[in-house]
Amino acid sequence: MAAITVMTLAALAVAVVGGLVIGPTSIGTGRVVGDLFSHLGVGHTTLSPLQSTIIWQLRAPRLVLGLLAGAMLSVAGGTYQGVFRNPLADPYLLGVAAGAGLGATYAIVDVGSGLSTPTWAPLLAFVGAMAAVSLTWLIGGRGRRSNASTLILAGVAVSSLLTSAQTFLQQSSSNSIARVYIWLLGSLASASWHSVTMVLPYVTVCVVICVASGRALDVMSVGEDESRSLGLPVRQVRLVVIAASSLGTAAIVSAVGLIGFVGIIVPHIVRLLVGTSYRRILPISVLFGAAFLVFADTIARTVLAPSELPLGVVTALVGAPVFVLILSLRRPVVR
Amino acid sequence: MSAIEIDALSVRAGPAILVDQVTLSVEPGTWCTVIGPNGAGKTTLVEAVAGLRRLSAGSVSIHGRSLRSLSERARAQMVSLVPQHLEIPAGMTVRDYVGLARVAHRGLFRALTAGDWTIVDSVLTRMSLDELAERDVTTLSGGERQRMALGRALAQSTKVMVLDEPITGLDLRHQMELLELLKDEVAEGGLTVLATLHDLTLAGQFADRLVLLDRGRVLLDGPAREVVRSPELAECYGMSLRVVEVDGADVVVPVRS
Repeated sequence: MAAITVMTLAALAVAVVGGLVIGPTSIGTGRVVGDLFSHLGVGHTTLSPLQSTIIWQLRAPRLVLGLLAGAMLSVAGGTYQGVFRNPLADPYLLGVAAGAGLGATYAIVDVGSGLSTPTWAPLLAFVGAMAAVSLTWLIGGRGRRSNASTLILAGVAVSSLLTSAQTFLQQSSSNSIARVYIWLLGSLASASWHSVTMVLPYVTVCVVICVASGRALDVMSVGEDESRSLGLPVRQVRLVVIAASSLGTAAIVSAVGLIGFVGIIVPHIVRLLVGTSYRRILPISVLFGAAFLVFADTIARTVLAPSELPLGVVTALVGAPVFVLILSLRRPVVR
Repeated sequence: MSAIEIDALSVRAGPAILVDQVTLSVEPGTWCTVIGPNGAGKTTLVEAVAGLRRLSAGSVSIHGRSLRSLSERARAQMVSLVPQHLEIPAGMTVRDYVGLARVAHRGLFRALTAGDWTIVDSVLTRMSLDELAERDVTTLSGGERQRMALGRALAQSTKVMVLDEPITGLDLRHQMELLELLKDEVAEGGLTVLATLHDLTLAGQFADRLVLLDRGRVLLDGPAREVVRSPELAECYGMSLRVVEVDGADVVVPVRS
């Protein structure tokens, strides 16, 4: 465990430095670090004002948003897999993606033939995501007969309904299809310090709650009835962790769109490395997911520079081989 | 004060009445086994005592405290459960599995203490699971799994334990072993046991008292020796039964009519 933690932290450090240093404008690592120290009052910067702007107004907010998105999506995916005891669960299971997609599509279609995505698209995406999860909970999560299965089925129904509405909206406005499509694939290109400060409070609180739920999820691995007989208030725990995972995911999705694959694959990679206890999976998923997404984004923005690959494509392109490699090296333990 | 006090308990599922006006009390440090044909309501009754069923009417008290007034955690400090079908979480070690029982005492946010692990390790020793402590739970045999489940319930350090068909699927030797282990806990540890069993011979040999349940109602309630000899028992199962005494122990034998 200690070795895995150190390795993950090292990967995170490399990802952070890479995220700041790598880009179309070549700026040496030493100069970036020197500039960082100069901001702390040590020494003098050797960067030009333009270089400083590139680092601190373009790459840094994008890096921080990438860290937050990777951490949140990964820990939410791990939490969902634990609370639903389902290895196929991901943070979008209960309708977050469909709701956010509908909200964002509405905003984008509403401005018609404009070139950019409207500034209120994130807000509508957030509202759509939370409304979808709330609807799912109202249908499948309340009452004594509710359980993990009724909730998943309600999520499937709500997702299908909202996705069909989103598709209808998208098809009815052909001149905005491309922008909707780009949004759906997810990207960190529009990251700014403003978007970072918007999502930071949600992500911080939600990550802490998810990580703290590790022991409860370990107990829940023996099933609902048995965990209740062991003293776990199953319904309350489920409500709290689903609310935290969904809220954090909704905040991230509203800022960066639908980045796929991270939420499902990172917890599985981590599970192969540290075993099946959620007390280990969840904190390591936070670090691993943050590093993973920043690596993926660095690839996404540099391979075809100046144009960008969709981030969702890169996460799958990088994540799938990594997963297969670890799967072939370690005995899989999936529950 | 009784360890378990069930008073006019009814449990319904929709229009079906699964447990109907059952009144029953179990004294501390005794073993009561509920018998009866399939569908008699045995599992529902013991699950209600374990707090897993909503009580439609009546009440259940554990050492004088009503289940309705207890939180999940407070109840788990008083009653433990060995379920009929175990969920076996892949990748967990036997020691960690038994350690789950201590969450009832420690809560969700505090790590288990050295004292908790001492309790877990002593239970593992009593259940002869020492050598398997670091094994993955999925690699255990049926008999070992049932011992592990009994160990987890013991590590919960409750005064009352509820078991639902704990010997299902075990061979004869493992059935006897498990029941002997449990008997020791009742005799030496003062544990109160409420169990369901299908095997009438074993039910009669191990329990202090048998309760015959039929269609949700208590048909017979008394010392094991009397209940196995009662004509109502055979009538309830709808078949001929004979009781043969072997070395002082009652053996219940079904007879083809």
